[in-house]
Amino acid sequence: MTTVAVGFDYSEDSRAAADWAAAYARERDCALVLVHAMGILEQASFEDARASLAAAGADLAARSGLADARVHAHVDYGDACSVMLRCIEAPISASLLVVGTRGHHAHAGLLLGSTSLELAEHALVPVVIVPGQR
Amino acid sequence: MLVLGGPGSHESHEEEGHPERPERVSAVLAGIGDLDLGSEVVRVAPREATRAELTRVHDGSYLDELGAFCYAGGGDIDEDTYATFDSWSVARHTAGAGLAVIDELSRAGDGVGFVLTRPPGHHALAGRAMGFCLLNNAAVAAAHLVARGERVAIVDFDVHHGNGTQSIFWNEPRVLYVSSHQMPLFPGSGTPGEVGGPDALGATLNLPLPAGATGDVIQRAYEELAAPSLEAFGATWVLVSAGYDAHRSDPLADLKLTSGDFAGLSRFIASHAGPGRLAFFLEGGYNLQALRASAAATLGTVLGANVALEERSSGGPGAETIERARRARDRALEEAHELGGRA
Ligand SMILES: [Zn+2]
Repeated sequence: MTTVAVGFDYSEDSRAAADWAAAYARERDCALVLVHAMGILEQASFEDARASLAAAGADLAARSGLADARVHAHVDYGDACSVMLRCIEAPISASLLVVGTRGHHAHAGLLLGSTSLELAEHALVPVVIVPGQR
Repeated sequence: MLVLGGPGSHESHEEEGHPERPERVSAVLAGIGDLDLGSEVVRVAPREATRAELTRVHDGSYLDELGAFCYAGGGDIDEDTYATFDSWSVARHTAGAGLAVIDELSRAGDGVGFVLTRPPGHHALAGRAMGFCLLNNAAVAAAHLVARGERVAIVDFDVHHGNGTQSIFWNEPRVLYVSSHQMPLFPGSGTPGEVGGPDALGATLNLPLPAGATGDVIQRAYEELAAPSLEAFGATWVLVSAGYDAHRSDPLADLKLTSGDFAGLSRFIASHAGPGRLAFFLEGGYNLQALRASAAATLGTVLGANVALEERSSGGPGAETIERARRARDRALEEAHELGGRA
């Protein structure tokens, strides 16, 4: 089964990306991995972060009509771009990466901090950039 | 002799409530004061690193973006990293402080350098700020030395892996990058299987340690794995990414080192450097007391000054990771050589 990985930082843009990825996974019969990157300052413990993300995954499964077993949660340390790039490798082996246009801190019109642009430049698999609500 | 670079005017690089704050520099200055070095301290004023010096390791387009971002008022670059209006100037002076220290050490032919400025640098990539870091200060200094024909070892004992430094010199055989760090932890990289690019196989050495690891384990990792690499490499200069967030009191990580352990590590590192060819760069360290004591431990030890040390720590987990790291590294090197042989 092919695997789709979607970046998720609880921002509105990343929710839009997750919804798009869930719809795609349902149509194409893919597994979906919700991916959260932990920065240096994130105060939650790794286990708490994993629990929150699993809850968000269950929500997404219910909302999108994907089977629970098809949706996985993956928390990793690092910047969003590197964490998404590592999802291409085993064990996740994602063949499609999905991200929102910008997360909590990226700045419109600036390359600085743009995960989506940097990811598109470095990824060896297709990247989908989902526009959020404007 | 201590050649002290900085601190310069770093205070305007500040964000309320952020742990990477100006008081960190004051804490290290207090630690140096505790050593009573008197006339043994030579202060060099930070100078601004030039664009040519910065583009040895950073993309020009990134420098333009960062400058423009700061002049537009700054803000949060990502969830960890901020910049203010002044940060572009502060960051260039921080990178330049390292260059000034190296030039003074070279002129004097003696002494030990300490680059006491901020923001820190070892997470900064060629084209991106991250992990509190804007410009990679140690990398800019190493590239400056390489341009002069030197072979540079960068030893990084900050609790976080210096992904920026590793990435910048990934395929550079004239720079040996050695990092000990807690794993898993931000930034997620730094496995023993990461050994360098095809032109620089073995010039990256990672020593990951589990949460709770104590000084005895980290010291052994350096003596058993780093010493052979350092000896084989034959560095003409040694730069140290000196982060003190592996201290047991640090709020951002879970290693258990004491100031006594930092003294031991610093003695080990200094034993691989010639006179006037050793410089420390301040990276992390977010408990001010621990930072003061640990920086004093480093400098007191390498300068032979009297310094009160916390007892060295021992008994924590991770001894088995040393052997595991050795095997993973050997395997990765073998595989890379096979690949290279086939190409
Ligand atoms: Zn650190």
